Amino acid sequence: MTAVSQRTPDAALDARPGVPIRLEGLTRRYGAVVALDGLDLEIVGGEFLALLGPSGCGKTTALRAIAGFDRPDAGRVLLDGRDVTGTPANKRDTGMVFQAYSLFPNLTVAENVAFGLRVRRRSGGEQRNRAAELLELVGLADRGDRYPHQLSGGQQQRVALARALAVAPKVLLLDEPLSALDAQVRVQLREEIRRIQLELGITTVFVTHDQAEALSVADRVGVMRAGRLEQVASPDELYERPATAFVAEFVGTMNRLPATLSDGVVELLGVRRPVAGAAPSGPVEALVRPEALVVTAGGAGRVVTRTFSGASTRLLVVLPGGVEVRADLASADSQQFTPGASVSVVPAERPVLVVPQE
Amino acid sequence: MLTALGTAPFLLYVAVFLLLPIGVLGVEAFRATDPVTFEETWSTDSLTTITGGVYRRAYLGSLQLSLITAVLSAVLGLALAVAILRARRGLLLRRLVLTAAGVLANFGGIPLAFAFIATIGTQGVVTAMLQDTLGIGLGGFSLYSMTGLALVYLYFLIPLMVLTIIPALEALRPQWREAADNLGASGWQYWRYVGGPVLLPPVLGATMLLFASAFAAYATAKALVGSSVPLVTLQIADALSSNVVVGAENLGKALALGMIVVVGLVMAFYAWVQRRTQRWLA
Amino acid sequence: MTALAEGIAGAGGVAPETPVRSGRRGGGAWRFGVLGLLGLYFLVPIAASVWFTVRNRGTGEFTAEHYTGIPGADGFAESFTRSLVLAGLTVLIALALMVPTVVLVDLRLPRLRTTVEVLTLMPLVVPPIALVVGVRSVLSWAPDYFLDTWLAEVFFAIQEPELPWILVLMYVVLALPFVYRALDSGVRGADLRTLTEAARNLGASWPRVLVSVVLPVLRTSVLNAAFLTFALVLGEFTFANILGFETFPTWILRISGSAPQLSVAVSVLSLVVTWMLLLMISALDRRRGTKENA
Repeated sequence: MTAVSQRTPDAALDARPGVPIRLEGLTRRYGAVVALDGLDLEIVGGEFLALLGPSGCGKTTALRAIAGFDRPDAGRVLLDGRDVTGTPANKRDTGMVFQAYSLFPNLTVAENVAFGLRVRRRSGGEQRNRAAELLELVGLADRGDRYPHQLSGGQQQRVALARALAVAPKVLLLDEPLSALDAQVRVQLREEIRRIQLELGITTVFVTHDQAEALSVADRVGVMRAGRLEQVASPDELYERPATAFVAEFVGTMNRLPATLSDGVVELLGVRRPVAGAAPSGPVEALVRPEALVVTAGGAGRVVTRTFSGASTRLLVVLPGGVEVRADLASADSQQFTPGASVSVVPAERPVLVVPQE
Repeated sequence: MLTALGTAPFLLYVAVFLLLPIGVLGVEAFRATDPVTFEETWSTDSLTTITGGVYRRAYLGSLQLSLITAVLSAVLGLALAVAILRARRGLLLRRLVLTAAGVLANFGGIPLAFAFIATIGTQGVVTAMLQDTLGIGLGGFSLYSMTGLALVYLYFLIPLMVLTIIPALEALRPQWREAADNLGASGWQYWRYVGGPVLLPPVLGATMLLFASAFAAYATAKALVGSSVPLVTLQIADALSSNVVVGAENLGKALALGMIVVVGLVMAFYAWVQRRTQRWLA
Repeated sequence: MTALAEGIAGAGGVAPETPVRSGRRGGGAWRFGVLGLLGLYFLVPIAASVWFTVRNRGTGEFTAEHYTGIPGADGFAESFTRSLVLAGLTVLIALALMVPTVVLVDLRLPRLRTTVEVLTLMPLVVPPIALVVGVRSVLSWAPDYFLDTWLAEVFFAIQEPELPWILVLMYVVLALPFVYRALDSGVRGADLRTLTEAARNLGASWPRVLVSVVLPVLRTSVLNAAFLTFALVLGEFTFANILGFETFPTWILRISGSAPQLSVAVSVLSLVVTWMLLLMISALDRRRGTKENA
């Protein structure tokens, strides 16, 4: 090995950007439990897609089906247009980062990263160079000789990421890689994952139950429920135009208020607003974000709590009839609304999203 | 400082009832009693005696028996443990085997010997059955031999192995296997590079425990073979019960000290191997 | 020594429980082979023992006389009662010695943990027969050196054949590894530190903390340790035999020559007793498990 080759990455080992993934009618049952219910999903090459949902919604099963750990009962998995449904996990060329504790405890950090090359019988020099390169990428160049238990949780997950990327996989699969970490490390590491993903251009599927995490890093977010996709959309669209009440409630905070709809006009909290989209007339529930409510002093509502969080402050208000609403306003404008204060709350002047009453 | 006194009863107890008897062995094994004057003197006679002749054969017999049974039951116990952990509808089977292992690991000593005598002893049920149907009995096999003893020892050593190794097997995280799969490793490569090295220290530790158990076993051997098979434990009992030979008591102490030295050496070896195989835990 | 202690302690169950990946495809045949073969090996001696004791070889008739004859057998009542008493005393002393020690080490003296651990594990590796030879040497000091002193009186008193206290004292040593491990897993699982700090914070005195917080929390571990010790003493042979006392196991060996079927019947019975003691332990464990899950 010459000194030059160290900085010249092996072309075959470099990340392969832009491999598309396609899931067709994936179905998986565990006894009576349906984990995947005919899931269809198309992920374009180089995309960062987050699968979001509550536990048990099938998001991890979907990821494991792509990795080959879980055989679907029906449906197909296509990687780069090739059907890999019957291919065993160790022949699929995917790179997976697990929730936690997946590093091999008996191998050093560098040996962990080089593991994929070792089982591919690459030369020792190549293993060392590639490990060094990847550790550099995740900012742990000086930790190669350590053993996993000597690292912090965040560092361990960086190593796991480096290890998954070392074999230049077709796609990167992240199975709640941040859920075992502290809040601060979590934010820092998710940004770093995104940076690396953009740098390599690798197609990435990121499974999480944390909506803030999904919205902040993904190109698109797929919200899952009971083995099906409720909606796949960009973070902005998901937040502004949730397709279903479930998505609306799962992504961000949402007030559900009783309302009536007639002739394209919604009546709620004593005022009338245009409806967003189309819906049948009658009693409905209006979905209103906390920041889309306007709070003024005096009225029949009463402030219960006031929660300061930097630039904005959230009020919990009880309206006559016992309806609770959450409203966000600029902290500077919120000082008068202490607990016990009388207030009135109305929706801002913009189209209101409604769903049929449950 | 005062709280440290709280452990005094324990330390005192261990000192008097464990360390003192062992220490006494270490000293009195070097004493000899003059057969004529009954005078006690310092001497290495006992220690010289036990390295030769019948005693040397007893040590070798004990070492051979415990080594073979320890390794055999380690292998079989590991296989059994893996088999019940892998079982598909394994919960019931697992609970059953674990409870049975708990019982059988504690079922040593005298009752075990008699169970085997009733089975494959000269009057045993299986012996008689083979005799009646095939007319050959057990062939050349005799329960009252080294091989017979080994067969009986496995009966409590295998369950002991299962009990000690199951926690280690359960500590093998499924993520390791999946990560290895994901990185392209074959099943063999996983065991070669990860599973094997991780399991090695606990397997060695358990084997060592089995060795110590087999090496120290006395009741079963006493009930089965009397003193017809050369074993240290039986020789010690013989020496102690002999009222005829003067100095036999000292011989017994020397033999006992020898046993402790053997166990100590095995443990030192084990500690050395452990340090080499467990660098990643330090 | 320390490495061994850790190895054994590690193997003994502090490892976190993780579900093991079940049922990989193929390769199942060897499993059934292993299970079948070992199953046979473990079942045949038990079945044969029962057969041996209930069937008269001469006449081919079935009889329970060997079992019904146990209570009246010569020497059975005394030796069995003696073993039960020894077991009970051993349990009491072992617990009185180890509960305060384990709690104290966990709460106040973590530095002593390794020392205590190594000392308690020693009886697992020191052959009992070597230990008993040492004990015999010490006991022989009484006539040799201490004659006519109070110490000699003590030495003779603990060797009373009716109730040999020396066995109790030594059985406590033999039980140390099991008692320590049962209690230790109890204190580790219970987070005693937080509990006692909470109790202290609410104004409880130390003795009160021990009685009303520590003991209830450790109840299952204490019972666990007690049962294991009990089973151990009931089956112990080496010490009783070498020191020349008659206990249940030495009695079985003594009668085996004249009454082979009786000795096998008693062996089968002692297997059943061990089984029941251990079933009680696992029943206790399970009850604790469900309580914690609720």
